[in-house]
Amino acid sequence: MSLWVDKYRPRTLDDLHYHTELSSRLRSLSASGDFPHILFYGPSGAGKKTRIMCTLRELYGPGVEKLRIDQRVFVTPSGRKLDVNVVQSNYHIELTPSDVGMYDRVVIQDILKEIAQTQQVDLNAKQRFKVVIVNEADALTRDAQAALRRTMEKYMTNMRLILCATSTSKIIAPIRSRCLLVRVAAPDNGEMTKVLQHVAKKERFHLPDTACQSITSASGGNLRKALLVFEAMRMQRPDLQGDIEVAKPDWETYCAKVADSILQEQTAQRLLDVRGKLYELLSHCIPPTVVLKTISERIVDKVDDTLKPQIIHWAAYYELRMRMGSKKIYHLEAFVAKVMSVYKASMMGMLEDFDMTM
Amino acid sequence: MDNTPEPRSPRRITPSTSIKKSKPVKRKAPDEEVDEFKPKKRQSMANRGPEKRYVESSSEDEAPRGKKKAPSPMEIEDDSDEDDMDDFIDDDEEDDRGKKSKVKSKPPAKTKKVVMTKKETKLTPVKKAAAKVAAKKEEDEVQEPEEKPKPKYNWAAAKARAEAGPKAPGSKEIPEGVPDCLAGLTFVFTGELTSLGRDEAIELAKRYSGRVTGAPSSKTSYVIVGENAGKSKMDAIQKKNIPTLTEDEFLDLIRTRHGAELDEKQLKAQEKEQKKIEEAAMAMAAKEREEEKLRKRKEAAKAIPISSQLWTTKYAPQTAKDLCGNKAPIGRLLDWLKDWDKNFKSGFKKPGKEGLGIFRAVLISGPPGIGKTTSAHLMAKEAGYNPIELNASDARSKKLIEHHTNIDNASLDGFFQGAGAKTTVMDMRLDSKTCLIMDEVDGMSAGDRGGVGALNALIKKTRIPMILICNDKSLQKMKPLINTTYGMPFKRPGPNEVRSRIMSILYKEKLKIPTNVVDQLVQGANSDIRQVLNMLSTFKLGKSEMSFDEGKALLKVNEKNTIMTPFTIIDKLTGPYAFSHTNRETLNEKAELYFHDFSFVPLFMQEHYLKTLPARASKEDGPLKDLKHLDLVSKAADSISDGDLIDRMIHGSEQHWSLLPIHAFASTVTPASLIYGSINKPGYGGGFGPAFPQWLGQNSKQGKLSRQLTDIQIRMRLRVSGSRQEIREQYMPLLAGHIVSPLMDRGSDALDEVIEYMDEYYLSKEDWDAFVELGVDSMREEFVLKKIPSAVKSAFTRQYNKTDHPIAFHKGDLFAASKKKIADIGPAPDNEDVFEEDEPVPDEEEEKGDEEEDIDVTKDRLIKAVKPKVVKGKGKK
Repeated sequence: MSLWVDKYRPRTLDDLHYHTELSSRLRSLSASGDFPHILFYGPSGAGKKTRIMCTLRELYGPGVEKLRIDQRVFVTPSGRKLDVNVVQSNYHIELTPSDVGMYDRVVIQDILKEIAQTQQVDLNAKQRFKVVIVNEADALTRDAQAALRRTMEKYMTNMRLILCATSTSKIIAPIRSRCLLVRVAAPDNGEMTKVLQHVAKKERFHLPDTACQSITSASGGNLRKALLVFEAMRMQRPDLQGDIEVAKPDWETYCAKVADSILQEQTAQRLLDVRGKLYELLSHCIPPTVVLKTISERIVDKVDDTLKPQIIHWAAYYELRMRMGSKKIYHLEAFVAKVMSVYKASMMGMLEDFDMTM
Repeated sequence: MDNTPEPRSPRRITPSTSIKKSKPVKRKAPDEEVDEFKPKKRQSMANRGPEKRYVESSSEDEAPRGKKKAPSPMEIEDDSDEDDMDDFIDDDEEDDRGKKSKVKSKPPAKTKKVVMTKKETKLTPVKKAAAKVAAKKEEDEVQEPEEKPKPKYNWAAAKARAEAGPKAPGSKEIPEGVPDCLAGLTFVFTGELTSLGRDEAIELAKRYSGRVTGAPSSKTSYVIVGENAGKSKMDAIQKKNIPTLTEDEFLDLIRTRHGAELDEKQLKAQEKEQKKIEEAAMAMAAKEREEEKLRKRKEAAKAIPISSQLWTTKYAPQTAKDLCGNKAPIGRLLDWLKDWDKNFKSGFKKPGKEGLGIFRAVLISGPPGIGKTTSAHLMAKEAGYNPIELNASDARSKKLIEHHTNIDNASLDGFFQGAGAKTTVMDMRLDSKTCLIMDEVDGMSAGDRGGVGALNALIKKTRIPMILICNDKSLQKMKPLINTTYGMPFKRPGPNEVRSRIMSILYKEKLKIPTNVVDQLVQGANSDIRQVLNMLSTFKLGKSEMSFDEGKALLKVNEKNTIMTPFTIIDKLTGPYAFSHTNRETLNEKAELYFHDFSFVPLFMQEHYLKTLPARASKEDGPLKDLKHLDLVSKAADSISDGDLIDRMIHGSEQHWSLLPIHAFASTVTPASLIYGSINKPGYGGGFGPAFPQWLGQNSKQGKLSRQLTDIQIRMRLRVSGSRQEIREQYMPLLAGHIVSPLMDRGSDALDEVIEYMDEYYLSKEDWDAFVELGVDSMREEFVLKKIPSAVKSAFTRQYNKTDHPIAFHKGDLFAASKKKIADIGPAPDNEDVFEEDEPVPDEEEEKGDEEEDIDVTKDRLIKAVKPKVVKGKGKK
C-alpha cells in the first residue's frame, strides 16, 4: 500500500534506470576496497539517496537495509540538550545535523568521534569501516564543516563519510578536496519517461504519451515529484486520458492566491492581509525561498511584459536578503510592498524608468 | 505614461505661480547660506522622474487653498535639516530666555514687523550666534541690534510671508510675558499649530501660570485652534461660544497681557493659601525644635540629628492632616480600626455602615509613593494601636508565618490569659493593642513559598487587626486575599492635594519655587510625593531657587529612570505629529526610545507600520494618496529589512553589538519617520493602539510545527528518503489524498484503508493530527476537521486504538520512562549496546518473514504485536 515512489525505488545499482555510467563507477569503487569519502550533489529528486543506499548495499550486502532509528541526546557545552534522530544499520549511520540548527557542530563532533574510535566488531562484515551519511551537508554551519576536516583524515581506517548536498557552493573547499565529488544530475525527459513507463508496466496499466509529457514538464526534473504527481493523476482519473490538469499541492495553490490578491488590490490594508497569509505559509513549514519563488513566478506570469524584469529583479534582491537575514517575513513583506508599489505605479502610468544596475 | 501630462498641466499653471515666486524669495532673502543649498535642492528635485514632479506640483497648488500649509513631501526632506537646526536654536533660546527672564521685569511690546525680522534671523546659525552675542551684551534691548546687521531686509518677502503664514518650524518668536501673566486663564489646544508643538504650547501656557485642559468646557477662557482641528472640539466650541485664538493671537496674548489681573477674591484666596503654608511651616519648625530638644536630652542614645535626615523621613506625615489625598479611604481605615474590637466581639457578623464590619483585615492597594504605608502606620497609631510591620525584607514563607505568628496553636490567646504566656510575631511581643501591617504583600515570591496562602489562613483566625499593603491587587497570586479582606484602593493624589504640603515644606526649607513649577514637578513625577521630595532635596544642595526651565530639566533627569513599554514607545514614535515640523525631539532622542527595549521595539514597529495613515501622504488625494502611501510603506519595509540584516550581524556569530545604534535607525526610527500618522481604523487588530507583534506567536508556531514535521519525517524515514522540506512540499499533498481526504469524503468506510496507509508509513494517530495541522489552504486544519464528522473522528480514534501498529522507534524519553532499567545503565549513547543485545530476537523473526519487509523492529518490545499486522498486509498482496 505504499506510494509508488517508495514501492518502486531501486535497491541495487543494477536496478537504476539512468546515469548508468555513474552506477558502474560506483560499483567498481565499492569493489576496489579503497572506498573514498564521497560527496553526492545534485538537485532534489535526482536520486542521490537512492544511489547512496544502492552503493551501501553493494558494499555491505542486504544487511544494510535493516534500518533502525534512534533518538540520541547531545549536550552542548552550555548544557542545552539536543535531540537528534539517527538512522542506522549495523554498517552505517545516517544523520541530519542541520536539524539542530547552529548546534550542528556538537552533533558532528560527538558522533564522528564515537564512530571513528570504535572498530567494526562484526567479523563477517565485508568492509572494516563504517559509513557515516551526512544529509543536507550544504546546510552545515562553517564550524561544523571545520569539525569534519581533520576527522576525515585521521579516522580514515574506521570510517568513511558520504555527504549529501544539493549544491557544493556552500561546502568549504578543504572538505571538497577531501571528497570524491559525485554529481547526480536531474534526469532528462527521456529518462523520466523511461522510469514512468517502468512504473506503469509494473502497475499493469498503459501510460499515454500525452499524460507522460505533462507529468515530466510539470515535475521539472524532479523524479520524486514526477512519480508523486503521476500517482495523484492516476487517483484522479484512472484512465489517464485527455487533458488532465496536474493536481497542485495545497501550498502552491495558496501561494497563487497570495499572488492574485497582491495583483488585485495594492493598499497597506491588503499588504496586512498578505502578511497574515505569508505567516500562515511560513508557520506551516513552507520554506520562505519557495514561497518567494512561487509567488513571484505567478506574478510574472500575470503582469505586463515591461514589468517582468522588475519583478524578477526584486525577487532576486529580496531572496538574497532573506538568506542573509534571520526574520524571513520582513524581507518577504518588503518584497510584496515593493511589488505592490511598482505595480500600482505602472497601472497609473507613473512608473519611473527601471535601472537594472541599482 | 503618455496621458499623464494632461491632468498635470492645468494644475500647474494658475494660482500656484504666485506662490512659487514668493516662496523662494522668502527663503533666500534673509541670508546667503540658505541661498547656497536651497536652489540646488530644488533643481535636483526638478530633475527627478515624472512621479516626483507630479507630487511637487500638486502640493504646491494646494497652498493657496489652505493658508497655512504643512510641508509637502518634498519639503519634508528639507525639514529634516531645518529641524535639527531648530533644535539648536531652541536650546540656546531657552537658555537666553532663562537668563533674560531673571533680569528683565517686562519686555517692551513688539510690533508684528519686529517679530517678522526675528523670525528671519533664526533661519541661520550665523545670525543666531550674532543674536546671542547681542543678547548677552545688551539684554534690555534685544531687537534693535539684530536689525542693524541686516541692511537689505526684504519687506516685500516679509509681507508675503505674513500673508501666507509662517511655515518653517520654530519660526515664531516665543514671547516673554510677565511672570504669571496667564494666571486665571484656562486654555484648550486643538489641531496642529504652525510653529509650536503641542507640548511646547502647553508648556508655554503653564510657564505663565495658565491652566490647560483637554476638552473645552464652560470654564475655558480660550481655545487655541490650529490646523486640522478635531471636529468634535470645534462643535463644542461653537456650542459653548468659547472665544478662539490662533497661534499668533495666543503669542500676542502672552506678550501683552499683564499678570495682575486677579480680582479681589482670587487675591484673597492666594493670601489665605500663603498664610496656611506659612502656618504649616511654622508648625513644622516648632515640632522640629521640640524633637531636637528631645534628642539632645537623650543624646546618649545617639539619635540622628534631624538636619541630617532624609526629607522623606523628616517630613513624613505625623498626623492624619498631613496626608495628601485619599481622604475617603483613610477615613474608612480609621473607622474600621476603631470598630475592630467591637466587631471582634460580635464575631465579625455585623457589616456595619459601610460593610467594613465583617472583615478582619484590609488590603490597601495603589501605586508606589502615595503614602500607603504611612497612612497605615498613622491610622493604627491614631486608633490607639501599636503597629508592627513586616515587609519584603522579612522572610514570609508559609512555615515562618505559621511558626512565628503561632496561628495553629493557642498561644495567640496568651495575652488574654495573663502575663505568663507571651505571644510574638517575629520575636516582637503582641498584645491586644497590636496591629499587624503586612507591607508589600505582592512581593511575596519564590522565597516565600505558600506565603499568601498561610497569610490568608492567618487572616481568617487573627485576633488583631491586620493591614495588608500591595501595589497591584489584580495579580493572580493575590486572588486568595480578595475574599477575606476589605479592598481599599488608594489613588494618586492630584497636584492640588499635594501642592500645599510641598509648598510648606519648601517654605520651611527656604527654597523659592513658584507654584506652577511645583505643579509641574508633581505632575511629572506622577504624583509620587516621595520622588518629588527626593528631587527637591537633591536640588537644594546646589540652589535655592528654581525656575520653570530648571524644573523641567530636573524632571527630565529623573524621568530617565522610568522604562517605557513598547506600546507607549510606538505610540510616541508614530503619533500623528511625531515627525512633523513642530516636533522638537531630535533624531537621537527618538533613537533613544528604541533603547528602552531594543529587542521588542523593532518587532512592535514591524507589526505596526502598516496600520497608520501616514501624515506624509495626507496631502494627496484619491489614487495618488494610495500610491504615496504604498511608496512610504515600501520604503519602510525596506528599512525594516535592512534592520534585519543588521540584526543578524548583531545576534549572529559575529556579535557586532556596536551596530546597535544603526539598528535603532534602520529598524525603528526610519520606518517611523516614513509612516507616522494617526492609526488607521482605531481598534484594528483587537484594541486601540499598537498591537502585540504577531511574529512571536507565529515564530513559536513555526517552531512547533517544524518539530512535528521532523517527527513525521523521521517516522517515514524507513520508507522515504526525502528531507523534511521534500516531505512537506511533495509527499504531504499526495499522502493527504490517502490518509485525510478519504475520511472527509467517505467517512467511516475509509477507516481501514487510512489506517493501513498510516501503518505503512509508521504514522501514529498523533502524527496524523500533526499532519492535518500542517496543511494550508484547502487542507487547513480547521477546514479539514470541520469536514470530518465527529462520529468519524471518534470511530477513527477507537479503531486506531483497537488495533496494533508498527512503530518506527521509541522516543528517547518514552523509552526511559517505561523501562527504568535501561535508563539506569548509563547515558543515552549507551543505548546502542542495549539494542544490540536485543538484536538476535528480531533477526530470527526477520528471517522467517519476507526480506522485503524490513520494518525496524530491532529494539522494539512491541515487535510481537506488530508482526501479525505485517503478515496480514502481505497476505493481501
